Amino acid sequence: MTDRPLKLVLNGTPRTFEEVPDAERLLDTIRWRAGLKGTKEGCRTGDCGACTVLVNGDPSLSCLTLAREVDGDAVTTVEGVTRETVGRAVVKAFEENGAVQCGYCTPGFVVALSGLLAGRSPPPSTEALLDGLEGNLCRCTGYAAIQRAVAAAREAVR
Amino acid sequence: MRFRTDAAPKAEGAVVYAPDLEAPGMLWAALVPSPVAHGRVVRLDLEPARRQPGVVAAVGAAEAVSLLPGGTGDGAAPVFPSPEILYHGQPVAAVAAETLGAARAAARAVELEVEPLPVVSGIEEVFPEWPTRVALPHPQVVGHVHARRGDVDGAFGAADLVHSETYRTPGVHQVALEPHACLAEVSGDTWRLRSSTQTPFGLRSDLAESLGIPADRLVVEGTWVGGGFGGKGGALIEPYALVLAAAAHRPVKLALTYAEEFQLGRTTLPSIIRLDTAVKGGTVTGRRVRLLLDSGASLPGRDFAVGYSMGFLLGPYRTDTFEIEGYAVRTHKPPFGPHRAPFAPQSVFALESHVDGLARRLGVEPLEFRRRNVWKEKDRTAYDQPVGPFGLDACLAAAERTLRDWRRGLPPDHGIGVGCGFWSTNAGEGGEARLELRPDGLVIYEGEREIGNGSVVRGLPTVAEKVLGLPASAIRVAYGDTAKAPFDSGVYGSRTLAALGQAVERASRALLATLASRLGAATSPTLELRDGHVTVVSGGRRVRLATLLTPEERTVGGLVAEGKFYAPAHRLDTSFVTDGQVFPYRDFTGGAHLAEVAVDRETGHVRVVRYAAFHDVGTAVDLALVRGQVEGGVVMGLGTALSEEMRWEPTGRLGNPDLLDYRLPRLRDVPPLQVEIIEGFAGAGPWGAKGMGEPPIIPVAAAVANAIADATGTRVHELPLTPERVARALKLL
Amino acid sequence: MFTLAYPSTPEEAVDRLARAAPGETAVLGGGTDLLLDVESGRTTPTELLSLRKLPWRYLRWERQSLVVGSTLPLRALEVDPKVRTQLPGLWEAIVDVGSPALRSRATLGGNIGRCSPVSDLLPILLALDAQVRIVGPNGRREVPVDAILQESRRTTLGSADLVEAVVVPAAAPCTYLWQRVQPVNDISQVGVATAYAPTPPHWRIAVGGIQPRARRLVEAEGLLRSARPSDFEAELAAQEAARRSTFVTDRRATESYRRRLVSVLVRRAIQRTLARVPPVAGGPSSSP
Repeated sequence: MTDRPLKLVLNGTPRTFEEVPDAERLLDTIRWRAGLKGTKEGCRTGDCGACTVLVNGDPSLSCLTLAREVDGDAVTTVEGVTRETVGRAVVKAFEENGAVQCGYCTPGFVVALSGLLAGRSPPPSTEALLDGLEGNLCRCTGYAAIQRAVAAAREAVR
Repeated sequence: MRFRTDAAPKAEGAVVYAPDLEAPGMLWAALVPSPVAHGRVVRLDLEPARRQPGVVAAVGAAEAVSLLPGGTGDGAAPVFPSPEILYHGQPVAAVAAETLGAARAAARAVELEVEPLPVVSGIEEVFPEWPTRVALPHPQVVGHVHARRGDVDGAFGAADLVHSETYRTPGVHQVALEPHACLAEVSGDTWRLRSSTQTPFGLRSDLAESLGIPADRLVVEGTWVGGGFGGKGGALIEPYALVLAAAAHRPVKLALTYAEEFQLGRTTLPSIIRLDTAVKGGTVTGRRVRLLLDSGASLPGRDFAVGYSMGFLLGPYRTDTFEIEGYAVRTHKPPFGPHRAPFAPQSVFALESHVDGLARRLGVEPLEFRRRNVWKEKDRTAYDQPVGPFGLDACLAAAERTLRDWRRGLPPDHGIGVGCGFWSTNAGEGGEARLELRPDGLVIYEGEREIGNGSVVRGLPTVAEKVLGLPASAIRVAYGDTAKAPFDSGVYGSRTLAALGQAVERASRALLATLASRLGAATSPTLELRDGHVTVVSGGRRVRLATLLTPEERTVGGLVAEGKFYAPAHRLDTSFVTDGQVFPYRDFTGGAHLAEVAVDRETGHVRVVRYAAFHDVGTAVDLALVRGQVEGGVVMGLGTALSEEMRWEPTGRLGNPDLLDYRLPRLRDVPPLQVEIIEGFAGAGPWGAKGMGEPPIIPVAAAVANAIADATGTRVHELPLTPERVARALKLL
Repeated sequence: MFTLAYPSTPEEAVDRLARAAPGETAVLGGGTDLLLDVESGRTTPTELLSLRKLPWRYLRWERQSLVVGSTLPLRALEVDPKVRTQLPGLWEAIVDVGSPALRSRATLGGNIGRCSPVSDLLPILLALDAQVRIVGPNGRREVPVDAILQESRRTTLGSADLVEAVVVPAAAPCTYLWQRVQPVNDISQVGVATAYAPTPPHWRIAVGGIQPRARRLVEAEGLLRSARPSDFEAELAAQEAARRSTFVTDRRATESYRRRLVSVLVRRAIQRTLARVPPVAGGPSSSP
């Protein structure tokens, strides 16, 4: 199995990775093979959400995902998400609402929220969006500014 | 409206944190944990690890001694235990390899033989009964504080009511989302470290002292910090990385796993607090405060928390007759460490619960009782210091209006609690700022990075902006390592804006003074940005800055000014202290909180329905930043109040080293939050600013506990206020 | 470290498992539990058998039953409007498990295979008398979920058996209630499922968070003789449920607190289920 290259459509670009061990987490492939460090490593047990990426558009925990389990899939990281209209609107909403402090959790929130908003017209309710972010931990903001940012981002993409 | 310059890069994932660091030829490190909480290393064989594929270096106590220029360094606290192990998971060796997987495999291959020794896992094992008098020295007591003012025995003897209670608080972890990480490199005689630290200079002196490396050969570069909350102050993982780098002659990266983060972190540790209050004729006439604080593996004489906590246990109340006594109890846990307002939330939980219950016993509305007794501006503290501008009563007055509002139509099984507290901005040793005014803008040069609250990226530029008149877009902050940047004590004690801000203010004024003299003007000019050029405005005259600079200033560095702020010595008459040390406080700020809870009377589950926080901030230099600190502090405090608890087993092993069972507040746990900023009580910072990083967490657990008491008539004497603990207090089981 | 295998048919998967040495091959569903066990060294398989290429990611209705392919993520059940209205208790058990991203990986098959005593799914599957479709070396069979569960990480499934689907009868009004330190994204201290089924025994009560695994409490069920038990009867059944359960003290709750919770939650769950029983008692349809 190991000798077969791993293929991902990473941020829209087909990429091939050689000699990827079967046990490798998608998080490590993204950070150390693709060099995309925007995806943060937090708890590595699926409890903090800092490593959230989109797999075929769905928010996923890259720390609990074996890279080979998503062979051939479209993986979008914060670097890719924030190139798109929705992701840019989310970043702007976080910036304008003071939702970024230390920033370590922020890429995870941005990816998860963008995933919930992208291609959904009309967008889900603010309540549904907040439910969708319950897997993302933030220790700085008390989530208050994040809640304001979520409402603002929703308005912006309407 | 201007926003934080770091917000968008962080949100886009473009900011590099310590766990993201890489260097050419870098090795990965893994630690070898002790399997016991107390024991003696009998045999440590690193050879099996060295034989593993990809391993470049393996080090233990012996290697550390030979690799460090100072030999053993601080013999009292060696890098690796030699031979006594003091807490579970304590690293006894470390390995560096080409990949993280190889390093971890090699760490598991190390052969370690340990002779287990008896474990003291908590305070109760040392003092099964409350100690009346402890004969000192005592093998398990590493710190003692005792002080007495006034006729305490007389007050208690004459009292018509004595209110006595015992409270317990658990270990609480900072849990910054970013785990500790650093990258170490030793080349020639220079030891270089990049680390996620709140205090680059403090880390340097810490390492210099403990490892015996001369400070001028040790260079620390702070990275962006993914959350600190006190947990990234002194050295934690850096010694291991430095020793490995010295052994491997290559850069070594060390990042903790979350389990290690929980097991090795220097955190708040458990306490038992006993409070007695004497009352005569409805007036408090005396107080006794006794504290047993778990200090973990703290070295004798190194405990700071007991003495520091005493003022918080006396509270912001007029008290001139009191006795305080505290013991720092040595147990087999990592040493006690600072955590956002060190031990103040725990002290205030106990005191404010006690005061609340006392008010109810006396038949006085609890908030009103506080207003009668809290310090006003002209009062003096328990330690006989002048209080000065202090807005706690104004906070309580504002809270009183909200309380009346909330009381209307309060549903059954709901209750409202109040909690209040004070904080004292800790200016630290001091700090310096270097400003470089260039033809196109201003650079503020600093040694410490932003830890999140915005005080570096946004607070310091705002100070320069206000003094100079330059727009924010023309001001940026640049960072340097400890070899290049001006000194600062670091980000702690809510000091950055209040103390370092003054250095920036002074440097800004110095710039204006230099420009005034170059213009031959009697008064200070102001600056503006015109078409991208810094322009000096003086007496109706506008001159481009470039024309006032020397050729050298125009080409490199610009016009340089330095500002220093070193905190004035704070003298305290300590004649009332009979043993140990209590700490003077300064620059007081107050906060009052209200919590409304709903209590499930059958299960003990508590839901916080809504929350309001009122804070005396001095002057809000940046309202958005202050609000962010209050909201963040309150929610962190809700974790302390309701769910956060480190649970050590009798073996000394931490039973819940993960986020599944160490439960942090999550987005959907947070109640609607009302924040009210009270201004007009000027602090010592720029324009009267007071430090606001720590105050908001302080009264939270107290407010929630008092709300539970209000809802049920039952008081819970132990944090956190979990459903089970509330159920027990309600006698449901 | 392990290698991954991707069988493309159930037969191939079963065959591979049948030929594996004991403990060498582990079945990888959503991986939310297994990968943590592997990372911590608690289990050390040399091969993980991924189910991702098997055609088991489906949800369909067969007569009065919901049939869930064993690799369908819980999230797909959560967002299905018919699941929410027809099986409110199942929906309640799913919607508060972990985070949305976790629910995008976790599966019913995994819950059964792992047999965690704190699973939020097992009590409701027990109360609804779900049937498990198994494929193994001797072909396919269908057994009640109750017959599979043993204790944490142990079931009666053979080493080469795979859960193919779970059949959940949808005719019963049902409820799932839990108690946690915090409501969101936390582990339940106990979980209680109740259902009112069209066939006897009508009332079913199942409890999780007890040892050695979630189970039906038939003694308590027996105390509910009418379609509309009174509050007093519900209370008696709840007390019986608490009395008949085996609790332990662990880091999440003490034995006595768990007992207390069961006695409260069983009563509340019966009352909530009662509110979901249509006016003509025992009718096949339900309203949440």
